[in-house]
Amino acid sequence: MKLDNDYYVCTGCALLCDDIGVELEGGKLNKVHTACRKGFAFMKGCSNPMECTVNGERTDMDSSIKEAASILKNAERPLIFGHANSSSGAQKKAIDIARKTNGFIDDTSSFCQGPMVEAIMEGKLKTCTLDDVRHKADVIIYWGADPANSHPRHMSRYSYFPRGKERQRGWEEDRTAITIDVRKSDTAEICGQNGFYQIPVKGDAEFMDAMVSALSGKIPKTSYDLDKKKLLELASILKKAKFGVIFAGLGMVYALDDREPLYKLMDKLNSVSSFHLIPMAGHYNMRGFNQNLFEETGYINRVKFSSGEVLHGPEYSVVEVLRQKAVDAALVIGADPLSSLPRSVVRYLEKIPLIVIDPCQTLTSAKANVTIPCGLVGVETGGSAVRMDGVEIEVKQIVDTDRLSDEEIMTRISEAL
Amino acid sequence: MGFGQFLSAPETKLRIVTYRDVFQDSAKVVSIFGEDYEKLSAVIKLDPKDISKLAIKEGDTLILKNSSGKVIVKALNSGYDNPHTGTAYMVNSPWSNSLVPEDSGVTGVPDFKDFEVIASSAKGEKVTGIKEII
Repeated sequence: MKLDNDYYVCTGCALLCDDIGVELEGGKLNKVHTACRKGFAFMKGCSNPMECTVNGERTDMDSSIKEAASILKNAERPLIFGHANSSSGAQKKAIDIARKTNGFIDDTSSFCQGPMVEAIMEGKLKTCTLDDVRHKADVIIYWGADPANSHPRHMSRYSYFPRGKERQRGWEEDRTAITIDVRKSDTAEICGQNGFYQIPVKGDAEFMDAMVSALSGKIPKTSYDLDKKKLLELASILKKAKFGVIFAGLGMVYALDDREPLYKLMDKLNSVSSFHLIPMAGHYNMRGFNQNLFEETGYINRVKFSSGEVLHGPEYSVVEVLRQKAVDAALVIGADPLSSLPRSVVRYLEKIPLIVIDPCQTLTSAKANVTIPCGLVGVETGGSAVRMDGVEIEVKQIVDTDRLSDEEIMTRISEAL
Repeated sequence: MGFGQFLSAPETKLRIVTYRDVFQDSAKVVSIFGEDYEKLSAVIKLDPKDISKLAIKEGDTLILKNSSGKVIVKALNSGYDNPHTGTAYMVNSPWSNSLVPEDSGVTGVPDFKDFEVIASSAKGEKVTGIKEII
């Protein structure tokens, strides 16, 4: 997808909004137009940028890259983790490094949207693009998802409020928005009382089964209290949908022990109308990593390279390899596991040589032996990324910087190996 | 120094559900070490009945602990219309992640959005700082 020269891409989340206007002053970003609160903060940059350090001492780029390569060379079982906030170019180099070092490679989808992305890439779930949603969707379900907080422009730019080619009367008449969640989120407030279905924590699979019953004209049953009349009304709305979409949030992903109830629901929905599913990926290029690794190995995450062989499974997930202390060094790029994983799991990272590459200081970098600053993709460097719906987006550089791009740093580490 | 400090604070078991908040997330982007991020993260939202049960006032601090860890956070009234006694809400953050059990079950994914803690009054202690967490 090519962009108009006047607009830029926000890499604040996986919506990759490509209508961002900027004003520069003295070669620096002065104003950011159109972005949401989070995107604005992301593009303006953090207040604590990363510096090159080795063992806590400031150093230069060459020394930190040399030390990073040395750690990886000396490791027998390194972990290359992160990638969700990295350009696709850097992700491909990370896969090369993992292969060269017989390492483990995993990303944040391993404890996030991985199951949904995997099902889509294996052709088990019907999907569509956000542009399809904007132009065609008449029934939109936010399931365990709260885009009003996680992706602030989701509803205004794509899913609910815009007038699309086949939805000229907009949300007032042309679209029905529904939230299924364990609490009345800000998104549920927007959907209104009639559009909100509150379920108990981990009640998702049963609700899916109940929806299948209702769509089949049977009385829905659940072990918890459920307004059967309201559920039958929901089934009626879904049957009449011309173009339906389910936005699967982490609330749904974490609640399902397996995907069978979702597959059954999607099969049923597609036997009576037309429904699609889009995973609500959070970080801007998690989906890109999944696609890049899939092209290389046939798997989207949780991979171990072993003398040319590709191993895959839950035992190779970042959570398990840290819990089992199966790795002896780690390179973290475009993620902050000390912030996003259980403390008891990530404590092991402090016991092994740790390299962190990021534009900003993070909790993980505070414990790293080597820190390497990279340019902020979408502001200081360009590249490409994959939106939450699988569409590849080119990202342009806005300002000049002395910093290397994440791809350049990974290339130099790879060469030094 | 009052007599009350020698009495054990009432404890209650809470089921924690985590959520996202754009203001807290934006504060993280600016600085994960910043005061704003701590202020918006080190918080638990409770049902008013649980606030009474714990013998605290809104804005007091609570100790949350389980076998994974312990943090002190500020207690707020959730303001939700529907009662949710026994269930409390925390924004996803290093504070909530300190309490997430490491067991990843059949999916290989820890229960980030659903875990239990024992809560009791922190008797005026300050919230846990980010540097204490790491």
